[in-house]
Amino acid sequence: MGLLDSIQKYQEKNLIKNDALNSFLNEGFPTIKKEEWKYTSLKKIISHDYLIEESSLDISSEEIESCSLNIGSKIVFVNGDLLKKPDLKGVKIKVNKFDNLSYNDEVTSLNAGLVKNGYVIEVDKNLQLDKPLEILFLNKNKSNTFIQYRNKVVVNENAHIKIIENIRNLNSEICFTNSVTEIDIKKNGNLEFNKLQDYNEFQNIIDTTNITQEEQSISTVNTLLFGGAFTRNNLNFIQNGTNCESNMNGIVILNNDEIGDNHTYVDHKKENCQSNELYKGIYLGKSKGVFNGKIMVRPDAQKINAFQANNNILLSENSSINSKPQLEIYADDVKCSHGCTIGQLDEKALFYLRTRGISKKDAMAILTFAFASEAIEKISIPELVVMTENLMEKKLDVKLSI
Amino acid sequence: MLKIKNLKASIEGNEILRGIDLEINAGEVHAIMGPNGSGKSTLSAVIAGDENYTVDAGSIVLENEDLLDLDPDERAHRGVFLSFQYPVEIPGISVSNFMKAAINEKRKNLGMDPISAKDLLSKMRDKMELLNMKQGYLSRNMNEGFSGGEKKRNEIFQMAMLEPKLAILDETDSGLDIDALKIVANGVNKLKNKNNATIIITHYQRLLNHIVPDYVHVLHEGKIIKSGGRELALELEAKGYDWLTK
Repeated sequence: MGLLDSIQKYQEKNLIKNDALNSFLNEGFPTIKKEEWKYTSLKKIISHDYLIEESSLDISSEEIESCSLNIGSKIVFVNGDLLKKPDLKGVKIKVNKFDNLSYNDEVTSLNAGLVKNGYVIEVDKNLQLDKPLEILFLNKNKSNTFIQYRNKVVVNENAHIKIIENIRNLNSEICFTNSVTEIDIKKNGNLEFNKLQDYNEFQNIIDTTNITQEEQSISTVNTLLFGGAFTRNNLNFIQNGTNCESNMNGIVILNNDEIGDNHTYVDHKKENCQSNELYKGIYLGKSKGVFNGKIMVRPDAQKINAFQANNNILLSENSSINSKPQLEIYADDVKCSHGCTIGQLDEKALFYLRTRGISKKDAMAILTFAFASEAIEKISIPELVVMTENLMEKKLDVKLSI
Repeated sequence: MLKIKNLKASIEGNEILRGIDLEINAGEVHAIMGPNGSGKSTLSAVIAGDENYTVDAGSIVLENEDLLDLDPDERAHRGVFLSFQYPVEIPGISVSNFMKAAINEKRKNLGMDPISAKDLLSKMRDKMELLNMKQGYLSRNMNEGFSGGEKKRNEIFQMAMLEPKLAILDETDSGLDIDALKIVANGVNKLKNKNNATIIITHYQRLLNHIVPDYVHVLHEGKIIKSGGRELALELEAKGYDWLTK
């Protein structure tokens, strides 16, 4: 019984033979005994039985439309099939052929072993795309389902693109998604990747994003986590060239029993690079957050500027956050700073707002917005800023007139 | 308009206000003076509804309604405004957005529609002019990085926008240079009318040269020990508080 059992049966039935899956089956799912999974247990999620890689319920065009952000061109995957892709000059969009898939831990090997869905996007060199590209994944299943996505983005020399990834599950059955995205940014390339994670209460997801950067490239990942039963983000940056910049910003608002775990890793391998990390967490109800930010500065990586901050507010008695910075520095000429805070809303500020006639609930929401604003400001797509604010209002159950 | 009767309040078991009686009519300006630690700021905080203080006895009735039954925001809707001695910095919220939220909550409470962007802006511009405020002020974050004088001016700006019935100015003169003091005093004087009232809480009589009070009260150890006309403030300036408290 359980997911592992479902996977084994699926393997036997479909005669799947590959090293990746065997590697996973040898290891099994990570447990809380592993340092990387210390605060986040998969036990409950994998105790259920699942259908593997199956989606069988129709999704109407109205449903697609209602999930779509409509702020640029869009790629739509419905139940794993590529339904729609834009015709953009200089941008190649294909279904992934899943050749030579890499894997380096349990979840990525499982992904490599089973995956059937995903895209490859390649942006031609020197292309500057102004409008964002939305990638919408929709799924609807009639019973518990386990799905893998494997995506690849290549941003060639001097190219500049903004992507919004929007994964939606329309189920009222448990959906467990194991998504891996590999991003390759060539010299002088610039990518802004926005992850809109407004998952429903049936969604469990492990999302691994590996970004490798060549010299003078810039990558920015904005993680906007507004819901979902269980979300584990593994966000890894490998700086393979000099003068790279890696930016990662997160806004996390969770409620009820939701769990959100953001693991980030920056590998500074070359000199004159920087990384900037700002994660803001807001926890309500019995929600649980984890932040783990690891910064590695290798011996050759001199003149590194690495900044990391993780600020959290707990808006309820029963919410919790485990925050852990991890710095490993092997070069001597570097500037690294990190800070983590966990607190409540400022009582004095709350009183101040209330003396201006603002209700307690709205005052709390205003201060929560103010708390998150620093991270919201990092989003460069105005429509996505508005959407983020609307989702925050929804999550905080307020309608602010600001 | 405001009747405070036998008001007693404490914080963490320490009694600060020990029976305050005060009556203020519409159109009047009352100054409350007194040495440090006499309970001046506590009185203003308790009127505004600061929940850190426990009210042990008495009542604060504004136009036949006891404010003690109301939350701070409800008191604001009834027309109470407190200009803070130490205004709070709120990074991430611009002055204009803050003002919009405050005005609209008040309007909502009065059953009115939200103010239009145009009306809000023109009203804010008028009040900025009244207080001689610089361009760009509206888009700055609330009190963030403001000088002491700018913070106090920002308080009076909010008062001008919200048009309270009862304004309490808690040490509004502290941290102001003489030019800023004149601007703030001029603003307060222009906002005065026969339907509203002002309580000025101050340590020194300096501000009272510019905002002339109808009555002056001396607070000492949580009680009003003397009341008089504006000449009392001048007497306090000349003689200090010792002759009253000994």
